[in-house]
Amino acid sequence: MNKQIAIIALMAGVAAALPLMTGENPYFTGVMISVLMMAALSSAWNILGGYAGQYSFGHAAYFGAGAYTTLIFISRFNLNPLLSIVAGIIVAGIIALITGSIVFRLRGHYFGLASIAVAEIVRLSVLNFDFTGGAQGILISDVSLWGFDLNSKNPFYYGMLIVLVVTLGITLFLRKSKTGYYLQAIREDQDAAASLGINLSFYKNKALLISAALTSVLGSLYAVYIRFIDTTAVLDLRLSIEIILTAIIGGVGTLWGPVLGAVLLVPLAEMLRSNVIGDTLVKFGIVSASSGLGIFLKENLAHAHVLVYGIITVLCILYLPKGILGLFGRGK
Amino acid sequence: MNQHLLDIRHICKQFGGNAAVSDVSFSVDEKQIIGLIGPNGAGKTTLFNCITGFYPVTSGDIIFNNKKINSLRPDQVCHSGMARTWQTVKPLASLTVMENVMIGGFSVAKSIREAEDIATEQLLLVGLTDYAGKSAGSLPIGLKKKLELARVLATQPKLLLLDEICGGLNITETDTILSIIRDIRNKGATIVFIEHDMKAVTSLCDWIVVLNSGEKLAEGTPEEITHNPDVIAAYLGGSQNA
Repeated sequence: MNKQIAIIALMAGVAAALPLMTGENPYFTGVMISVLMMAALSSAWNILGGYAGQYSFGHAAYFGAGAYTTLIFISRFNLNPLLSIVAGIIVAGIIALITGSIVFRLRGHYFGLASIAVAEIVRLSVLNFDFTGGAQGILISDVSLWGFDLNSKNPFYYGMLIVLVVTLGITLFLRKSKTGYYLQAIREDQDAAASLGINLSFYKNKALLISAALTSVLGSLYAVYIRFIDTTAVLDLRLSIEIILTAIIGGVGTLWGPVLGAVLLVPLAEMLRSNVIGDTLVKFGIVSASSGLGIFLKENLAHAHVLVYGIITVLCILYLPKGILGLFGRGK
Repeated sequence: MNQHLLDIRHICKQFGGNAAVSDVSFSVDEKQIIGLIGPNGAGKTTLFNCITGFYPVTSGDIIFNNKKINSLRPDQVCHSGMARTWQTVKPLASLTVMENVMIGGFSVAKSIREAEDIATEQLLLVGLTDYAGKSAGSLPIGLKKKLELARVLATQPKLLLLDEICGGLNITETDTILSIIRDIRNKGATIVFIEHDMKAVTSLCDWIVVLNSGEKLAEGTPEEITHNPDVIAAYLGGSQNA
């Protein structure tokens, strides 16, 4: 465990120094923010999905709850951004408890389906209410905190990093605690767990609450960072699925799997989106720009990052059921 | 008033129109070992599931330690001092043997250290100490059954319900398990156990309850049961129950 703490500290140190080394490079910082955010989101999901074995396909609901609550409080009530984040946690927590008390009666696939349903209810509600901005979303102007200008990227880079470190810390602590053992028992066999005195719904709800709270903080940070949100950006099923795929590809139920997944997948998606791969192949003359393949690379591959995620996921499930981290023989 | 540790009163359990258990009553006194026997489909495991809170009973009462426990959840039943094993073993496969038993221990332990101590003790009792660090899923069936036993013992139950703890084991393995059970009994445990192996049942039990088609066919001492014509008929397929 001490070794893991040291690795987390090392990673945090390197990540914290990174912006200083690269200097002012908004594009790079932007990609890194995405990496850190996805690593943290996937790690937060992992507490519920990986350790308690409850595959939530609706984590966008908690991300969106944080994002919307925070921006509504900032734009309507001019509330301090930090307090707005706390408000987001409370709203996400309430949604989590309502969700949990209903859907945790279901097991396996039924739980997964119900979690999608809840997230869609949240999305459609937000889309149709007036105070949430409906289909227009919410746009805020400049934000500041204690006189600091929050219009640059670095504060959010460090914000995401802090949430990631906290999430990993909580995971590490949980793993060797009674709650962590109970969650793993629930993952392995719910009936056996209950017969050993484990209150299933209490511990599942506890895991969901921790996971949802962390997810909502990330949603809040993202919203203040981008300063514009709508349901497509923060409440979409696509987001829920990306969170899960990141964990699956990296290694579900492991400390570092979700981080590894994010480090590999987010830059890959970014490269596809910005067409780096296609451009490079054309530039070095490997593929001619006017050939069918060249046109495909340029026109289509850029839009296909979800397809690539899908292919990688299928390959992972077939050949690396424990995720990429499983390659290194580390079960935990 | 009620002196029995466990009192089963007129338990009925119906699935749709089918009565899996109907009007079964018996009681268990402290430090007794009770055998629950009967042909396949007699309702033994269903009865266990009712007693331990996995199935709600259709009617009847379950009194444990002078408290009615009909409507308790399985985890509450466990905390009230009753623990069960499973006919088909349910190891927490990806966790280690030690962790499996610790999870049982957490129902009484206040710290990780205390749970580890309890687990170490129980592993020693069932003879799994050498396997403490192995993953539970990798054990062969004989050792998985021992693990089940160690895990429920770690919850420190007043009453132990064992569902075919010897099922699927060879003679040597069965003997080891039975000697562990004798050990536990000598320490003053109360046990109800479902078993097919008549020799095991008659050698261990103070009292035997026989179920057939969801109803109580007979109860008595092992001596009485082995000579009961109804029981013999039920097991050998006599004409009386046709």
